[in-house]
Amino acid sequence: MRLLRSEAIKLRSVRTTWTMLGIGLLGEALFAGLYVGLASLGEIGSVLDVQTGTGLLMVMLLVLGVLSITTEFRHGTASTTFLATPRRHPVLVAKLVAALGIGLLTGLAFVAVNGGLALTLFSSRGGELPTTGDIASVYAGVVVSFSLLAAFGLGVGAIVRNQVGTIIAALAFFFILSPLPELLPGTIGDYFPAQAIGSLHSLPEATEDGLGQVAGGLVLAAWSLGLWAVGTALVMRRDLSE
Amino acid sequence: MAELEVKNLSKRYGKTVAVDDLSFAVEPGRVTGFLGPNGAGKTTTMRALLGLLAPSAGEALVEGRPPHEMAEPLRTVGAALEATAFHPGRSGRNHLRVLAAAAGIPAARIEQVLEMVELTGAAGRRVKGYSLGMRQRLALAAALLGEPRILILDEPANGLDPQGMRWLRDLLREQAAEGRTVLVSSHLLSEVAQTADELIVIRDGKLVAQATLDELTGKASRLRVRCAAPARLAEALAARGASVETDGGGDGALLAGGIDGEALGELALELGIAIHELTVLRSSLEERFLELTGEEEAS
Repeated sequence: MRLLRSEAIKLRSVRTTWTMLGIGLLGEALFAGLYVGLASLGEIGSVLDVQTGTGLLMVMLLVLGVLSITTEFRHGTASTTFLATPRRHPVLVAKLVAALGIGLLTGLAFVAVNGGLALTLFSSRGGELPTTGDIASVYAGVVVSFSLLAAFGLGVGAIVRNQVGTIIAALAFFFILSPLPELLPGTIGDYFPAQAIGSLHSLPEATEDGLGQVAGGLVLAAWSLGLWAVGTALVMRRDLSE
Repeated sequence: MAELEVKNLSKRYGKTVAVDDLSFAVEPGRVTGFLGPNGAGKTTTMRALLGLLAPSAGEALVEGRPPHEMAEPLRTVGAALEATAFHPGRSGRNHLRVLAAAAGIPAARIEQVLEMVELTGAAGRRVKGYSLGMRQRLALAAALLGEPRILILDEPANGLDPQGMRWLRDLLREQAAEGRTVLVSSHLLSEVAQTADELIVIRDGKLVAQATLDELTGKASRLRVRCAAPARLAEALAARGASVETDGGGDGALLAGGIDGEALGELALELGIAIHELTVLRSSLEERFLELTGEEEAS
């Protein structure tokens, strides 16, 4: 608990966290407002398909997860952190919980903004809202994906350690290389992170194109936790000589 | 038992040997200066003692145990390693809050240490805007946070002004007087000469000397005396256990070690020998230090 509090103070006490999440939420509100407000109802189709504005927030959470570990190496605070906890792995556990937590809180903020704006706007324009169950399940998928993305960033950051390198690698992985797995034969491509996020953001029964929602969540969780475990093992062994 | 102990410690980075079979022990209740030229392996040794890097061979022990076995790390060892190891966007106070939270140290202690290092006024500002001296003091505040029994400080005097240096000396003396163990490194002997009770000198990762300041410099200081009856004086000096040899200068002067000028003068008076010249050949601290750590091998 002490370490979790310590990690929470680390996140709260730098402006980067607030700036990134603020921009992410603002962007989401803007996008949801413009798209749902201006596009024709036919174009929108199901209001849940649009994932209005999750993209920017996903980038922010991925990067925040990366920063939660790479800043410690970049600025040398890792030394003081691990002086306070020489066994090291409890710090990584606290960082994981903090990453999942910040994803969860951001996810809830997303739900508040998206639900308040996109759904209200859509129904006020005469659109037919999906069932409460569908709404709840897609929103739950978004929240879970946010949490797991922050954890994913943490894992990659713990492995790579170099801040700029990690951010470029993580962003490239999700936003440039992400279509490549779909070229793989059979359903192998469905088990890659970007595809798993797609599944998470779909309705539970939308299995025609990719995994189901729960399976997608499990696949992404496996990636995030696997990377975190590898990163933790590496951080445990590495010398801190600067 | 020594509070800090290094036993046959070696650390290699590829082919580079940073620390080479180094052994020493640091006792409580005094300030121990850890000296050596830049790159001698001081920081590596300190980091091994703090469990931040794994020795290639040998051990680094804190209170007789490997550092990662410490039950309450921040209450056992406080360390200031680098004045630059802060997140630039975090305030000084928040830096301390992060550490205090991790170690379960009450918030009131944060204000106490800020007061001690005279940073209360700047504590709310981001570290980005701190001078090097302020960063040093923040690093010290972090080291003192847990009221640790052991302090390990790496070049804490860097960037301090003369007033700050004096303040640091007083602080270290105070901590040692309270029975704590204080290990403080420097590449400048003059910085620790007035503070340290004991000196550990290393070069190329190896131990060169571990001695008190007096032992280190006293050994080297000798008297040069020219007198009316050198042979008789030499005999008397030898009888008193002083070392005597004839100076090669041709004027028959003697070089005497292990005796001070007063005692030699009185001895000469007793013997009725007129002294023509008496000089103290003091090897200065810096000279001695350079001798110990210099490039040329002491053969």
